[in-house]
Amino acid sequence: MKLNKRRTKRRFQIQPYLWLLPAMIVFTVFTFIPFVQTIYRSLFIVNSMGEIKKFVGFENYLFILQDEKFRIAVKNTLLFMVLTVPTSKILGFLLAMLANKKRRFSAFYETSFALPMAMATSVIAMIFQLLYVSPLGMINGLTGLKIGWLTDSRYALFAVAVVQIWLSTGYAFVFMLSAVRAVPKEVLESADIDGAGTWRKMISVYLPLTTPTLFYLIVTDLAYSMMVMGLVNVLTAGGPNNSTLTLMQYIYQQFAGAGNYTNANPAAVLTFLMTLVCTLLAFAWEKKGVHYQ
Amino acid sequence: MRKKDTLTDLCMQAFCILCALMILAPILYAVSVSFMRPGDILTTSHHILPPEPTLENYIRALTATPIMRYMFNSFLIALVCSLSRVLVGACAAFAFSFYDFKGKKLLFLMTLTTIMIPPDVLVVQNYVTVSKMHLLNTYMGICSIFLVSANNIFMLRQNFLSFSRSLYEAAKLDGTSDLTFFRRILLPTSKPVLFTIFISSFVNVWNQYVWPMLVVNKTEMRTIQVGITMLKDRESSAFGPVMAGTVLALIPTVVVFVVFLKKIVSGMMSGAIKE
Repeated sequence: MKLNKRRTKRRFQIQPYLWLLPAMIVFTVFTFIPFVQTIYRSLFIVNSMGEIKKFVGFENYLFILQDEKFRIAVKNTLLFMVLTVPTSKILGFLLAMLANKKRRFSAFYETSFALPMAMATSVIAMIFQLLYVSPLGMINGLTGLKIGWLTDSRYALFAVAVVQIWLSTGYAFVFMLSAVRAVPKEVLESADIDGAGTWRKMISVYLPLTTPTLFYLIVTDLAYSMMVMGLVNVLTAGGPNNSTLTLMQYIYQQFAGAGNYTNANPAAVLTFLMTLVCTLLAFAWEKKGVHYQ
Repeated sequence: MRKKDTLTDLCMQAFCILCALMILAPILYAVSVSFMRPGDILTTSHHILPPEPTLENYIRALTATPIMRYMFNSFLIALVCSLSRVLVGACAAFAFSFYDFKGKKLLFLMTLTTIMIPPDVLVVQNYVTVSKMHLLNTYMGICSIFLVSANNIFMLRQNFLSFSRSLYEAAKLDGTSDLTFFRRILLPTSKPVLFTIFISSFVNVWNQYVWPMLVVNKTEMRTIQVGITMLKDRESSAFGPVMAGTVLALIPTVVVFVVFLKKIVSGMMSGAIKE
C-alpha cells in the first residue's frame, strides 16, 4: 500500500512535464533559442554561412543606423503603419455600424464584409497587381488616370497600403460587429430618451463602449504592420527606388539576397524593439482612452 | 410608422449590399478575368465581363504549371500543422489545467510570451536552424514553425478549466489513467473547440507566404501561395492563367470560410481574450 502510494506520487510529478514536452520543444527550438541567438549574434560579425567571426559589440547597430537603406525602411514602415492601422479600424467600425441591425440579407453582407479575412496575402497581391497595371489596368480605366501605381515612387507605398487596408478591414469588421452588438440595450434606450440621433449615438455611445475591442485590434495590427513583407515582396519587391522597402523586406534582402547576416540580425532586433515600443505606447493610450465597462 | 421602418430597412440593405459588392469587386474581377481570352485582358475598352468566356486559362494553368502539385503541398502542410496544433496544444493545455506542478506558472508565462515575439523577426535564425537540420525543401521544414500556437494552448486551457473537476477526480478514483481520461473523456467532450481550432489553423497555414517562400526553392515543393506568384514575373502581362491559378488557390479557403464562418471567428476571437 505504501509502495503503491509512493509510485502514484512519483508519476504525478513527471507526468505534467511529459504532456508539455512536445509544445515546449517546438517553442524552445523555434522561438526561445532563435530569439536569444538573434540578440547574441547581432553583436558579432557573421559570415554568409551563418558562422560567428568576430565580436564587435554595438558596431553592427551603429552601422545599420547609418545605412541609408535601413533609414528608408524605418521611415516607410512607420508611414505604412500610420496609413493602414487607423484607416482599417475606422472602416471596420463603420461597416459594423451598418451591419449592426439584423436584417433579411444580413448573412450575405456580413460574410462579404468579413471575406477578406480568408484571403492569402499573395493571392490578393496578384489580383491588385492586375488592377494597378499602367496604363491599361482597371483602376486607371475607371478613374481615367494614367498613373503607374506600382512603378512611380510617389504612389507605390500608398498603392501597397490600399491593399493592406482592404485585407485588414474584414478582420476589424468581424471583431467590431460583435463589440457593437454587445452594447447594452439599456444604454441605447436612455440615449433614445435623451433624443440622441444616429450620429450622436454612434460617437458618444457605440464608439466609447467598443474601445476595448478597438484597442485590441490596434495593438495586434501595429505589430502586424511592422512585419509587413509578403505584399511588398510580391507587388514591388521594395522598389521603385526603395520607395516601398519595409523593415522585413530589408532583413530579407540582407540575408536571402546578399547572405549578409551581420546586418540582418541587428535589424531584426531593432524591428522587435520598435514593435515592442509601439505596443507599449498603445498600452499607455489604453489607460487614457479605453473605457472598460 | 411600421411602413417607414421597412422602407429605411430596405434602403439600408441595398446600401449594405452595394458596399459588399465593392469589397468583393477585386475578387469578382479576378474570377471574370480568369474566363477572358488573352486578347480581352488589359485593353483600352476595359472589359468587366468576359466578352467571350473561355476555359483556356484554366486549362493552361492546370497543364503548363504544376499547380495541382502546389495545391497538394499546401493541403498536406495545412493538414499536418492543424492536426499538430490541435493535438500538441491539447496535451499542453491538459497539463496546465489538470495538474499542479513545480514551474507551472513560469511555463505558462513562457507560453504566453511566445505570442509577444513575432515569428517574422526570428526568420533569419530559424532559417539557419532548419538548414542545419537539413530540412530545406522538405515538408517538415515548412511545417516546423507552425506546429504549435500559444493562442491555441491558451484557448484550450480556458476550455479545459471549465471542465468539471469532480468528474476528473471520480475518473481517477475509478482507476482511469490520465491518458485514458484524456483520450476517452476530455477530447470527445471538447470536440467543438478542437474543431474550431482545426478550421482556423487550416485557413491560417494555407495562407502562409513568407516562411514557405524562404525554406523552399524547388518547384515541386512550393506551396500554392508561393507558386502562384511564380506563374508570372513582374514585367510579363500573361494575366489570364495567373488569375485562373489565383481563383483556384482561393477556392478552398473561401469555401471553408463561408461554411465555417462562425467557428473561424470564434477561433480568432479567442486570441482577443487576454489573461
